[in-house]
Amino acid sequence: MTRRVDHLPLPPPDARVDQTVCQYCTTGCGYTVYTWPIGRSGGPKPAQNAFGADFTRPQPAQAGVVYTEAMHSVALQDGRAVHVAVVPAADSPINRKRDHSSRGGTQARATFAADRPTRARLTTPLLRIGDTLQPIPWDEAINLLAAVVGGVRARFGSDALTAKAFDHGGGGGGFENNFAIGRLLFDDLEMRYVAIHNRPAYNSEVWGSRDRGVHELHYTAEDARLCDTLVLWGANPYETASAFYTSHMLPNFTGETAVEKRAAFDDGEAIAPLRLVVIDPRATASLEIARRIDRARTLHLRPNPGTDYVLADAIARVVYERRWHDAGMIERRSADGTFDDYATKSLRRGTALDGVLADATRITGVPRAQIEQAAAWMAEPKPGGARRRTLTLYEKGLIWNYKNYDTIAAAVQLAVLAGNIGRPGTGCGRQGGHQEGYVRPPYPGERPPPNVDQYLIDGKGKLFWVIGTNPYRSTPRAQAYRKRIHARTQALTTALGRAGESATRRADAIVDALAEGDGLFMVVNELYLTATAADAHLVLPAAGWGEADLTSINCNSRLLRLYPAFVDPPGEAKPDWWIMARVARAMGFDGYGWKTAEDVFRAGGESFPDNRVDAVAAEALPAETYAGVTYAELRERGQQGIQTPVRRDPKTGALVGTTRRYSARFGSSDGLFHWYGSDPWPGYPPQIQKYLEGARAKAHPFWLTTGRNQFLWQTGYHDRHQPAKLDAVPLPYIELNPADAERLKLGGGDLVEVFNDEGNAAFQVRVLDSTPPGQIFALQYHPKGTANALTSAYTDPKTTIPWYKATRVGLRKLAGELPTTASLLPANRF
Amino acid sequence: MPDLDRRTWIKLTGLAGAALASKPGVGVASPPIARLAELKPGRPVPFSYPDAASPCWLMRLGAPTAGGIGPDGDVVAYSALCTHQGCPVAVEDGRFICPCHYSQFDPARGGQCYQGVASTPLPRVQLEVRDGAIVATGMDGLVWGRVDDGPLGGGR
Repeated sequence: MTRRVDHLPLPPPDARVDQTVCQYCTTGCGYTVYTWPIGRSGGPKPAQNAFGADFTRPQPAQAGVVYTEAMHSVALQDGRAVHVAVVPAADSPINRKRDHSSRGGTQARATFAADRPTRARLTTPLLRIGDTLQPIPWDEAINLLAAVVGGVRARFGSDALTAKAFDHGGGGGGFENNFAIGRLLFDDLEMRYVAIHNRPAYNSEVWGSRDRGVHELHYTAEDARLCDTLVLWGANPYETASAFYTSHMLPNFTGETAVEKRAAFDDGEAIAPLRLVVIDPRATASLEIARRIDRARTLHLRPNPGTDYVLADAIARVVYERRWHDAGMIERRSADGTFDDYATKSLRRGTALDGVLADATRITGVPRAQIEQAAAWMAEPKPGGARRRTLTLYEKGLIWNYKNYDTIAAAVQLAVLAGNIGRPGTGCGRQGGHQEGYVRPPYPGERPPPNVDQYLIDGKGKLFWVIGTNPYRSTPRAQAYRKRIHARTQALTTALGRAGESATRRADAIVDALAEGDGLFMVVNELYLTATAADAHLVLPAAGWGEADLTSINCNSRLLRLYPAFVDPPGEAKPDWWIMARVARAMGFDGYGWKTAEDVFRAGGESFPDNRVDAVAAEALPAETYAGVTYAELRERGQQGIQTPVRRDPKTGALVGTTRRYSARFGSSDGLFHWYGSDPWPGYPPQIQKYLEGARAKAHPFWLTTGRNQFLWQTGYHDRHQPAKLDAVPLPYIELNPADAERLKLGGGDLVEVFNDEGNAAFQVRVLDSTPPGQIFALQYHPKGTANALTSAYTDPKTTIPWYKATRVGLRKLAGELPTTASLLPANRF
Repeated sequence: MPDLDRRTWIKLTGLAGAALASKPGVGVASPPIARLAELKPGRPVPFSYPDAASPCWLMRLGAPTAGGIGPDGDVVAYSALCTHQGCPVAVEDGRFICPCHYSQFDPARGGQCYQGVASTPLPRVQLEVRDGAIVATGMDGLVWGRVDDGPLGGGR
């Protein structure tokens, strides 16, 4: 059980104060960090503590200082123990009024300490000597890695070098680390076989939007406060972007933002509380909360797995048929001839509406009335005739769907058709999972990019560099993948030991051994010894959030802020930019003389296109452009930050942020919107269709979809060390509809094995009506297992993006039972 | 809320006047909150502990739970202030739910936050039965909005 406390030390008035941003989800809540020496705590009167708050009486609900048990710990700063309080910032425009999530609220306890669970952090480089990982100094690790990378490249070529690296912002990521990784892997090593942290290739998840001229991050958090209709498409922000939901969407739904609407809307324009459309097979928490408040203003569409683009195109057809589309925008802002292609293939203009909707209902399973209602809620003019303001936010349910390219394109085109872009309260972008912070030289590979998972499974590649990601949990068809990577890394270990492992010419011996058989040298940069890292030959300890300076943007506002270091990294851990630069210098590459994180930040900034442009030209800038911004500027701006793309006023040189994009021009090179005609529905791909026929259909009677639980950030690399979270989510679990549970005689807390041809995994059962009968929801990742054991190897041929979100499975009850700490109350009942 | 609670005590116990004379605080037993025999599942009882500004819920679950008191081991009590931002939680369908941001807590699992944005369980009130009446004797976990469960302003 969770250890509780009955007292929290207060920061004294002279405590060190750092403004920072949460390391976890896309929302990017502002946090304030107070650090002060042991033995120097403050007192309860306002003048006695750094909060300036009166703790002689209880803080007022929703208005007072938020300082809870999980927001305090003791960690090392400049070698001595200090109190650390990480509390929601008072002045953040993102998490207003000190709002926060269950993730951000525990960051103090995620700091490293030798006497807390985070003692599991890596503190030195580790080298597999013989068959055991043993601590070694940095010089030895860097020299070996430089020699092996150089030796493999010289002997087998750049295509023998493979990697899987994060490209995100927030904890561990950010502009600094991303730039250093990209420069070494792309510019100097010319590596094509590189994959991004959560997928098997180097690609955009939203080429379907970017190719139209719409970068996915073009809206601002304020738009969620102003919209008339919010569409959550495969996105569940209450659990995955919590404060975005509670600080911005919920006040709109309850009508609290009416005054802001009055100020932002045109004169006489109708104002009403939010309508919410949720398109998701699952009745999510984000939907159920709104239903509790006012069910009549919610609409839930549950398309059959993989059919979302057919649904989007059908809704768009209704919009077009009813003449709710923005004819002026289409006329003025479309690339020549492209709208006809869209109207012919996506809207199916040549077929009568009845036929189009009958087809859509047959394919998607969504009743015609719901398709028509969704179209009306998204695009029907408001009373008085003003154009409705609809904001569509999508995330992994849409991105990791079947036919990624067509699906994303269909969603953004539906929005633009109805004129829902570039105005307050509109947009169609991704909610985001993590934060961003991308600046890299161009990827040297082709498009669509190669599937690096398959390349490694096929025995190709000699060296695999994994940077801040855990593909043993996160990649599709993870069970088959990790067995193969394990076998290949073990083959090298075995080969090295065959004639006695050389201590004096280890790098040469490794390269020689790689010439025969299908051995693979694996190096991992990590915070912890993850399942993947445990199979590596070389493990490099990375410094994380709060241990090294970094910068990132969030997704809901592109808000650039500084995340400063305030505690010491564990032992010898170093930021990834430092590791990459050391390896690069050891290999003789130039341009890695950075002394500080800010040196890397500025070098990355200068690699963007010239941003000394006016506001209209800035529409074409990359979304994350920040050239000209310094750490001093960011310190000055604190929680207010600056919204990218940042431009420098051509006359004054002043930095100017961007609130919202595409009001005058799209992001394409010609500034126009490039329409795309969807593929006809092709049926399911062979990887899934095989489960729908014959004996396999009988053995795999369920659709499986996956998602997150709000207490666990990603694979739970930090959260597995937070007892309260493990009490609540002790095991991977599935949500099973009560009708299925009754039929199979399964109850809450029972253990089942879920299986298909791809793999197997054990889960705890939660009986919930969140998914319809015949569909199972599984937690995607957990420290004790992964639903990706079951996902198929299908990727969209246009993008190499997997379809993580649906496959077919069977299940069987495991004999006996395990006692559980988890509540079995229905988590979808509000 | 404090006045209501005081009336509740008086109504339930008829003893409150004398007991309230002592200075409230953790470690000081509360006045009797309810007669054990009269506490029924589905009928939670509001009270305050360790002082009038700290509302709590006492309830009988109808099934034994770890740390529950009484002959059936099913009597528990928790702070009623949500550990997210301090709003008073409601009791609905056998669980606690916060009306501000909808965090939910399970009284049968030590006040575990099983859904929502709170990052700690509800503080649990330590209970004893004295002469057939339930009294609060301590608080396991920090009540929201405070830095000490002891007397307010006491510091350490």
